[in-house]
Amino acid sequence: MSGRAPRVTKTEAIVIRQRRLGDADRIVTLLTPLRGKVDVVAKGVLRSKSRLAGHLEPLTHVEIVLAHGRSLDVVTQAQAVESFPALRGDLDRLSAALYLAELADRFTVEHADATGLFALLHAALVRLDRGDGQQVVTRMYELALLEATGFRPEWTRCLGCGVEVPADEARWSPLEGGVIGVECGARYPGALPIDATALRVLRAYQSLPYEEAGRVRLTDDLAARLEQIMHSLMRAVAERELKSAAFVSAARHARVAEETATAGLDEIRDDECAEAED
Amino acid sequence: MNDFRDPSGGGASPIARLVDAFHRLPGIGPKIAQRLAYHVLRAPEEEARDLAEALMEVKRSVVLCARCQNVTAENPCRICSDKGRERTIICVVEEPLDVVAIERTGGFHGLYHVLHGVISPADGVGPEDLKIAELLARIRDVDRDVTEVIVATNPNLEGEATSMYLGRLLRPLGIRVTRLARGLPAGADLEYADDVTLGRALEFRQEV
Ligand SMILES: [Zn+2]
Ligand SMILES: [Zn+2]
Repeated sequence: MSGRAPRVTKTEAIVIRQRRLGDADRIVTLLTPLRGKVDVVAKGVLRSKSRLAGHLEPLTHVEIVLAHGRSLDVVTQAQAVESFPALRGDLDRLSAALYLAELADRFTVEHADATGLFALLHAALVRLDRGDGQQVVTRMYELALLEATGFRPEWTRCLGCGVEVPADEARWSPLEGGVIGVECGARYPGALPIDATALRVLRAYQSLPYEEAGRVRLTDDLAARLEQIMHSLMRAVAERELKSAAFVSAARHARVAEETATAGLDEIRDDECAEAED
Repeated sequence: MNDFRDPSGGGASPIARLVDAFHRLPGIGPKIAQRLAYHVLRAPEEEARDLAEALMEVKRSVVLCARCQNVTAENPCRICSDKGRERTIICVVEEPLDVVAIERTGGFHGLYHVLHGVISPADGVGPEDLKIAELLARIRDVDRDVTEVIVATNPNLEGEATSMYLGRLLRPLGIRVTRLARGLPAGADLEYADDVTLGRALEFRQEV
């Protein structure tokens, strides 16, 4: 019953995810620069007249006002700053963005400074939205995230002896986070073969700034091999399955299947045309 | 719910267990859960038994329709076996309650398919956790006259992701895939939309 006004905080944030709380309320997980990951309550969001709903969708950059609640803070105002519409309208880029958000969720802690990680996620969403290559955006984000959280993978020197490993002789261990040379192979019985070209690309990505990394040419096949390597590394570091990583792959398979089916139809049509001309 | 801890310290009391059970139901806060539990405690034994039996009966006799995956006591369900329904169009929804909402508009006369959720990787739900394989199998093998699928998932991020994904799977089968028209506010839930808005969203649906 003190006369003080309820304490409020204003902050920018990226909405990482939402889950239902009771009938129409939601718990919204935010990534904020200064307070890291924060769970907040948004009331009445599911009702069709709620003005908060559109501003609190996952993958939205918002300005938000929070009132301090007993257990969780409560959203009193939210205004979308960027909602990344192009990214939302394309399944490949949307699935990639969901994956970036799940990684941010897994790799940040609550109530600790996350200025660097916020900037990383924000930059990656901006790049996906403006149409940069989904592969290079995702891979550079993964590598930067690992670096920032102390899990920098070792792509060049052998984990066992520290000697530089030629790319076409390397094996690697997702659990140990690096490559292993022929000499030390016996000490890492779980080590896996790694594609030499993919390894060269990862070495380049780790040493190049984003703009230059974007100039590395990738075939579809090489991109898929890079994705597979990085997904296993992220799973090993996060120590869990990443559902969004599987969805990125599922979305791509569905696109390839659709393109193949459409190409098949086109070929049939071409054949019909050819016959008609005869 | 500390008020209901067994004072002897031997874990949760029966009434605390009942309060917890009510509290887990959607829309029931801790206060209402306590009131319901005390109501049951004071009510005649028959009333309590009726409630318990109704709960068990619904779990025993309600199954998922083998065709549309909606909850039903008969299999196939009434809508699937209704000869008067259009067999060329399927409306795909997230939850059984969405079927109720769309039926209430009176504007749709085709068949349904219930996904039982929506693609939401952050919550651990991928395509393989939904009734998507059942939808594809049904269109390939049973409902072969289907030419259009309306994806009536909620107008939010997860609903859009699900509709785009279904589009990629269904178009190669020669199916026209449409989406409810805008007009439902972004981030909203079908279940809370009024009949007029929902009816118009159905009527003015668009290609995915
Ligand atoms: Zn070595
Ligand atoms: Zn049915």
